[in-house]
Amino acid sequence: MLEIRDLTIQYEGQPPVLEHFNLSMKKGEIISIAGESGSGKTTVIRAILGALAGGGKITEGEILFLGESLTEKSPKEWRTLRGTKISMIFQDCGGTLNPIRKIGSQYVEYICTHSRASKQEAWNRAVQMLKKMHLPDGEAVMKSYPHQLSGGMRQRVGIAMAMTFQPRLLLADEPTSALDVTTQARIVRQMMELRRDYQTGIIMVTHNLGVAAYMADKLLIMQNGKVLDQGSTEEVLHNPKSDYTRKLLAAVPEMEGARFV
Amino acid sequence: MFEKRECILQANHLVRQFPAPKKKVLTACNDISLEVYRGKTLGIVGESGCGKSTLVRMLMQLEQPDRGEILFHGKNLAEMTAKEKWLNRQKMQMVFQDPLASFHPKRKVIDILTEPLENYKRLKKGEKEAKAKELLRMVELPEDLLWRYPHSMSGGQRQRIGIARALSLEPEILICDEATSALDVSVQKTVIELLVRLQKEKHISMVFICHDIALIQSFAHQIAVMYLGHVVELLPGEQVGSHGAHPYTQALLQALFSVRDDRRKEIEGLEGEVPSPCDLPKGCPFWSRCRYGTETCREEKPKLKEIAPGHLAACHRL
Repeated sequence: MLEIRDLTIQYEGQPPVLEHFNLSMKKGEIISIAGESGSGKTTVIRAILGALAGGGKITEGEILFLGESLTEKSPKEWRTLRGTKISMIFQDCGGTLNPIRKIGSQYVEYICTHSRASKQEAWNRAVQMLKKMHLPDGEAVMKSYPHQLSGGMRQRVGIAMAMTFQPRLLLADEPTSALDVTTQARIVRQMMELRRDYQTGIIMVTHNLGVAAYMADKLLIMQNGKVLDQGSTEEVLHNPKSDYTRKLLAAVPEMEGARFV
Repeated sequence: MFEKRECILQANHLVRQFPAPKKKVLTACNDISLEVYRGKTLGIVGESGCGKSTLVRMLMQLEQPDRGEILFHGKNLAEMTAKEKWLNRQKMQMVFQDPLASFHPKRKVIDILTEPLENYKRLKKGEKEAKAKELLRMVELPEDLLWRYPHSMSGGQRQRIGIARALSLEPEILICDEATSALDVSVQKTVIELLVRLQKEKHISMVFICHDIALIQSFAHQIAVMYLGHVVELLPGEQVGSHGAHPYTQALLQALFSVRDDRRKEIEGLEGEVPSPCDLPKGCPFWSRCRYGTETCREEKPKLKEIAPGHLAACHRL
C-alpha cells in the first residue's frame, strides 16, 4: 500500500536529516518508528503527508501510496488526499483545535469540507465517531470548548476526527506521550480496535518503546537520520542487530528490572 | 524493607486549598503525611492533577499549607522568620523538569553553576572557576562546557547542569520534579545512575516526583501513590510490583507497557475521568473509577492504615 524508496531529506544548506530511508507497508499493518529526539522519525511522517517544516526538501527517492507517487502531487491533489485517505494524529490534538470555537462547529466544518454531507448529517456522523472512541456523552462533547475537556478526551476527539473518513493510512506522531499512563493504555486499545474495524494502516512515531512494541507488527529503530534496525517486532526485540538498539532496550525501565539501590 | 533511620523532613496532615470560580474550593492536597529519611529516596507517583507539584511547592516553602505542619529536623518551617527560611533553603534544593526554562538564557554555565554559592556568599574571590569545574566533574561533564550557553547543550547535559547547581550548596534534601521525563530513555537511565551515585556518596535524601511507576520503583526506597490530592498507598519501593495493593496502584501497574511482555497481554486502562478536585467525593476519592467500589466506599472515606509492616494503604477492602 505504501512504499518508500531511498528517501533522503535535507533542510536548506544543512546535512541530510534523513538518509536512504526504505519502508514498505501492507494494508492494515501497524509500523512503529522509535528512536531518540532528533533522530528524524517525525520527518518521515511529515514527508509522507507532504508537510515538511520550512525549507525541508526531498532530495532523493520517492514515496508511493496506492501505486501513485506522492512527491509530485499538486496542492489541489493533496487536499483531496489529506484528511480522507491519509490522516494524522498529533501529540497534542488539543493544540490543533481552535480554542474559541466549540468542538461541534469545527468537527462539522471538517466533515463538510471533505464530503457533500449536510450539517445535520455531519453532526450525527461526528457524534457517532465520538461514541466509537468511548467518549461517554458525544452530544455534550460536541457542545464543549476544547479547554473544557481533559487532555485524554481531547486526544480522543482528535483521533475520532482523523478516523471519520476511514483513512487507509493513519499517521500518528507521539499520540500518547502527553497523556497519563492509564489514559495512554485506553487510547492504545482504541487505536488497535480501529485497525481491527477499518483495516487502517498505522505508522506511529514514538519514543515509548513499550507502546511501540505492543502495537506494532513491524518496528524501526532510528538514530541520526538512519535506520539501525528494521524488521518484525519480535525480531527487533529479541535479536537486535545494532548496539544502539540493545542499549535502548536495556534502558527501558521495567517492573521486575534492575534496581539501582 | 529499609531501616527507618533518621527522619529529617516530616509533613503532617498537610492541606492546601485554592479558591475556584463560582465560590467553589479546589482541594489540591488533602491530609498528606509523609516522612523523608536521611540518604533515602521518597518517590511520589500519580497522574496529572493529583497534587504532586503543590505538595512539593509546600515542602519548598513556595506555598503555605492551609492546615498541617512541615517539620525540618523537628523545627516547624511555618514558624521560621524570613531570614531563617532563606538560610534554610540552602539545605533543600530543587531540580526541575525543564532545565532550559530554569536557566537564564544569557548566562554561561560557569555563572549558572556558581550563582547559588554567590547568593549565600559562600564563594571566595578567585575560587569561582575551580569550583565550577569541580561541579562539572561531579556530574561527569567535560570542563570545556564552562563557557557555553544553556541552549547549545543537549537535554541530558542540561539536566546534569541542573543537578550540579542544586547540589552546589550541599543540600540535605534534593527535590526532583519530573526531573527525567523530558529525556530519552537511554539518557534518563544515565541521569538516574548519576543521582543514585551522588546520593550514596553524599547521603542526600531525595524526593522524586514521577509519573512512571516502573522508573521510580527502580531506585526509590519508599513510594507514595497519590490520587486526587490524597496519598492512597505508601510502601517500600521494591514491593510495589509484588505487593501494591490499592486498586489505583494496581491500575497503574496494569497500564504499563513493557518491551519484555507477552504482546497478547490485555492492557487495561481505567474507565472514566478523574473527578474534579473542586467537589471532592465524600467517600473514597477513587470510588468513581474503582472496579470494586461499593456503597461503603461512596459514603465513607477510608483511612490510611498499616496493612503490613511499613506498608500503608487507604482502602476499605484491605
